[in-house]
Amino acid sequence: MLPDIDLRIANMIKALEQVILPALPRDQRLARDQAMLVAGHLRMIGEQWKSALRYEQVALDDLQGLARDLLPGAPAFLADDLAAALAMAEACDRASVTAIEQANIAIGHAVDAVILGGSDHAPMPSAAVDRLLDYALRHARRERSWFKANRLDPDQNDLPDLVTMLAETN
Amino acid sequence: MAIDMSEIGEAPPVDRVDIWNREDMEPRIREILDRTVRDRVKGPYAAKTDLEVVAMLERYFARTEGLESIRISGISRMAGGASKEQFAFTLQHEGDPAGERLVLRMDPLEAISQTCRGREAQVHIAFADILPVAPVRSIDADGEILGQPAIILGFVNGVTEPSEGKGHGVSGIGTRYDDWAAKLAPQFVDTLAKVHRFDWRSADLSYFAAPEAGTRQAPIWQVNWWSQVWWDGVVQPVAMVTYAERWLRENAPVCDAPVMCHSDLRLGNFMFEEPSGKFTAVLDWELAHIGDFHEDIAWAIQRLFGTWTDDGTFLVCGLIARDEFLSAYEVASGNQIDPVKLHYYEVLNAYKCAVIDLGQAMRAATESNNHQDIILTWLGSAGAVFLEQLVMLIRKA
Repeated sequence: MLPDIDLRIANMIKALEQVILPALPRDQRLARDQAMLVAGHLRMIGEQWKSALRYEQVALDDLQGLARDLLPGAPAFLADDLAAALAMAEACDRASVTAIEQANIAIGHAVDAVILGGSDHAPMPSAAVDRLLDYALRHARRERSWFKANRLDPDQNDLPDLVTMLAETN
Repeated sequence: MAIDMSEIGEAPPVDRVDIWNREDMEPRIREILDRTVRDRVKGPYAAKTDLEVVAMLERYFARTEGLESIRISGISRMAGGASKEQFAFTLQHEGDPAGERLVLRMDPLEAISQTCRGREAQVHIAFADILPVAPVRSIDADGEILGQPAIILGFVNGVTEPSEGKGHGVSGIGTRYDDWAAKLAPQFVDTLAKVHRFDWRSADLSYFAAPEAGTRQAPIWQVNWWSQVWWDGVVQPVAMVTYAERWLRENAPVCDAPVMCHSDLRLGNFMFEEPSGKFTAVLDWELAHIGDFHEDIAWAIQRLFGTWTDDGTFLVCGLIARDEFLSAYEVASGNQIDPVKLHYYEVLNAYKCAVIDLGQAMRAATESNNHQDIILTWLGSAGAVFLEQLVMLIRKA
């Protein structure tokens, strides 16, 4: 495509920072704050968009792995739903961000149900808890790296860049 | 050093609290959460224009106080906060031609945290002679007159971060106080102590309910509050949030003596004057409730609210080293910090922050129900910080 997405994002940031923001009165702090956040979001999206599909694939793969880990210890009445969500995830169109997101949500709800253990709150096997915490740490690190550019993370300097983070998942 | 959570996992025999009874929460909180779900479909919400606000205020003061020849001037939208629409304005009328400077603090349709302006007003009034707080001028707790819930406060001068400083951030996060810390830190500790020593039983706090002392009701009320926010608004399931809820229920500690908790006392939520550094206002009481004092301490020491000195020392709220902060608080308050309970409330607060950032903020932004959706998604992008904290804290337990 011409102009490509990177160029258009760069144009928008330039317009915001060099034309729109300077034109906003200093006392219009809400407008100025939001304009700066638009630029920040655009800068972050510029870094992310080419990896978005790969990121969603990795996230779904990891969640499927957790679901398979939880399945043996899941109460029977919840295991069927979890297995069905797993099957849906395995069959989803992995070239579509939307399809992967939908599969992620479906399997996420089934995982949640197993964690809560139904109305009698059946205890989770300790091995399942360990697998869950392992997954949760990977998930959190992945998300923190993905959004590192927001500069809100107190340990942002310890996080890998997106390319490195995604390469490490291979 | 690992903390043995087993001693708080066992409830005393007198504890009648059902840790899985999701209905057990403060009645007013239940009303607010139910209202949120009911009104969610009324969106999208657009930021109010100055003209709209002027018209709203003119109608409001005419109806509530019978003022005549009302003139609203000097209206100025206030930045800061990620929750309420706030406007400074001057009210003049026939009986006061000179006018008074006021602040309208108004709920958008849906915010990063859904709270009660009536509770906020009651706390402001209760602490008026104890701490620097903005005076309450008027309150429309359910938006029956103004059209949306609001509180009108007296205007207070001051800044939330040094005018000349290195670090500035969204909602105060990342603010560096540097040389100001020596002036601000003692006041910060003293404020926490005064909040916790406050005799809430003698105050008019009709919008509040108190958990039963000597039981686990205080933490369970909090878990029920925030888990309800999560389940009412979840956009995408997050396994760690769900597991944290379970852990918090199963490990809830007894609260021996409930106190008033500010619940959001951190950098960005106090104002001070320059150059003296004297506190002029303690802000954002919207999350205040009666609970365990450890909750406020655990909130203040969160990493996201802190900063690091150039030599790598972590400063609580950018003000004071952690151990120094805990010791100073104990001296000022007379409360003894229980490290096991503090640890529990660190988990609870990380959970609350995850729910706020990844749950309520995402739902409000998805519905386009806030006046600054873009700030909600910006803050939401930091939500995973709290997920990792939850993993680390629960593993440490």
